[in-house]
Amino acid sequence: MNVGFVLPSTSRESKDVDVAIIGGGPAGLSAGIYATRAGLNAIIIDKGNAGGLAEDAPFVENYLGFEGLKGEELAKRFKEHALKYVEISEKNEVTEIKKEEDKYIIKAERGDYTAKAIIFATGTTHKNLGVPGEKELFGKGVSYCVTCDGYFFRGKKVAVIGGGNSGAIAAIYLKDLGVEPVIIEYKNHIMCENAYKRIIEDKGIKYITNAMVTEFKGKEKVEKVIYKDRESGETKEITVEGIFVYVGLVPISDLAKKIGVDTDGRGYIRVTQKMRTNVERIYAAGDVTGTAGQIIIAAGQGAVAALSAYEDLMLK
Amino acid sequence: MGYIQDKDKEYLKGEFDKNMKEEVKLLVFTGPNCQYCNVASAIAQEVAELHEKINFEEFPIDSEEAKKYNVEHVPTVIITDGDKYGGRIRYVGLPSGYEFSSMIEDIMDVSRRHADVSDEVKAQLDMIDKPVKIQVFVTPTCPYCPRAVRTAHRFAILNENIIGEMVEAVEFPDWANKWNVMSVPHILINEDVQFIGAYPDEQYIKYVVEAWKKMQ
Repeated sequence: MNVGFVLPSTSRESKDVDVAIIGGGPAGLSAGIYATRAGLNAIIIDKGNAGGLAEDAPFVENYLGFEGLKGEELAKRFKEHALKYVEISEKNEVTEIKKEEDKYIIKAERGDYTAKAIIFATGTTHKNLGVPGEKELFGKGVSYCVTCDGYFFRGKKVAVIGGGNSGAIAAIYLKDLGVEPVIIEYKNHIMCENAYKRIIEDKGIKYITNAMVTEFKGKEKVEKVIYKDRESGETKEITVEGIFVYVGLVPISDLAKKIGVDTDGRGYIRVTQKMRTNVERIYAAGDVTGTAGQIIIAAGQGAVAALSAYEDLMLK
Repeated sequence: MGYIQDKDKEYLKGEFDKNMKEEVKLLVFTGPNCQYCNVASAIAQEVAELHEKINFEEFPIDSEEAKKYNVEHVPTVIITDGDKYGGRIRYVGLPSGYEFSSMIEDIMDVSRRHADVSDEVKAQLDMIDKPVKIQVFVTPTCPYCPRAVRTAHRFAILNENIIGEMVEAVEFPDWANKWNVMSVPHILINEDVQFIGAYPDEQYIKYVVEAWKKMQ
């Protein structure tokens, strides 16, 4: 049982700011600190809680200065730090952005904001696998969040689809909760970092490689995961009660696209080294730019984006 | 030493000083064989100590007050003005982890005697003229859950026919099992209409209206 505390922030009113930062993950929070310290008036608007996908990470062991801590704890520290500088409006989804003369009008659930510049730190969301049964069994054993739903599978066997770092961490987290996970990876070798590979071996977590998952089966609830052994071509099945899908991420860039921001084929926002996009005074930082999906990189990009905004607004 | 760290208390004090308007009651219902009752009570007490307008009261499950507020499980935490909100804004199970932030936001909304929704959502809320109970199953480590809980509670603040109840699924596994809760937030309206996910108000209200229409 977790008796930790996540603190709220209570900004409500509409505002006129220099820079609006959309998304309060590591990139957005870092951008908020840098923008304010540089002298810009900023606000961070987040549709959920500040913290971003970092909050989903059961533990983080590669953020400089922290040998190992829960993603939730790291996110809380980021947020507390940012709150010393910048207002964060949470549970406030941006629904529309329009350009009027040289300003951007941002419509959100809790109010309208006017900004000279926008930093998109909107991040990514978990990708669906796209196999039969996935949609139908969502909430009936299929899940995309181990910290949310892991508890329900204590004492039960589950499959973790995707053996990259996220999948590996998810499986380790599940094992520690008392769940029996088996990892299923498409590629023919172990895809996570060596550090996680060692833990997986130590904990005796089964890791199947070269397996293409083709279907999730079950009537009322998940019963089986079906996969094709890519080496033998044989179709195999594993009886499980839960399936956690960790097969990558998709960028949240629709709002940016609507105001003409250029994205790549997969929807990631194209940025320069200085985090500028093709649209004037619009920047992007963090996972939405399609780099590594690492907290430290997101935080660094947030800083760069804020400094570029400062250059463009104050020094030109 | 308390449960809430000193630096968090400082932060909360600042937020309360900025946002508290009218008196708020934090009612905690406790009972025997309850693993988290002491913690729930201590946390509520610590929060109440942070501002003069937050009043903490504890009642046993077999008390008159428990009957008055239809409390059946412990711990239950009710946030109320003691009048028009009755026991409609409630937490069954410990409001810890991410739900702690929901509780703090609820306190401030109850203190303002108001919650924010768009005009469109308010118009739909105003149609609800029969009792609707929204239950939101959560786990304390679910970052998406507070949004769903807060929506239920904001709706309850704005319409006296609506009850918004968080249920901590880890503490009440049988209850969660009964409704096949396997992903949270899992929202159950009038023990009938169900959906999973932290949806924006505009989508959420549709399910509430659907449950209400079924009562016609």
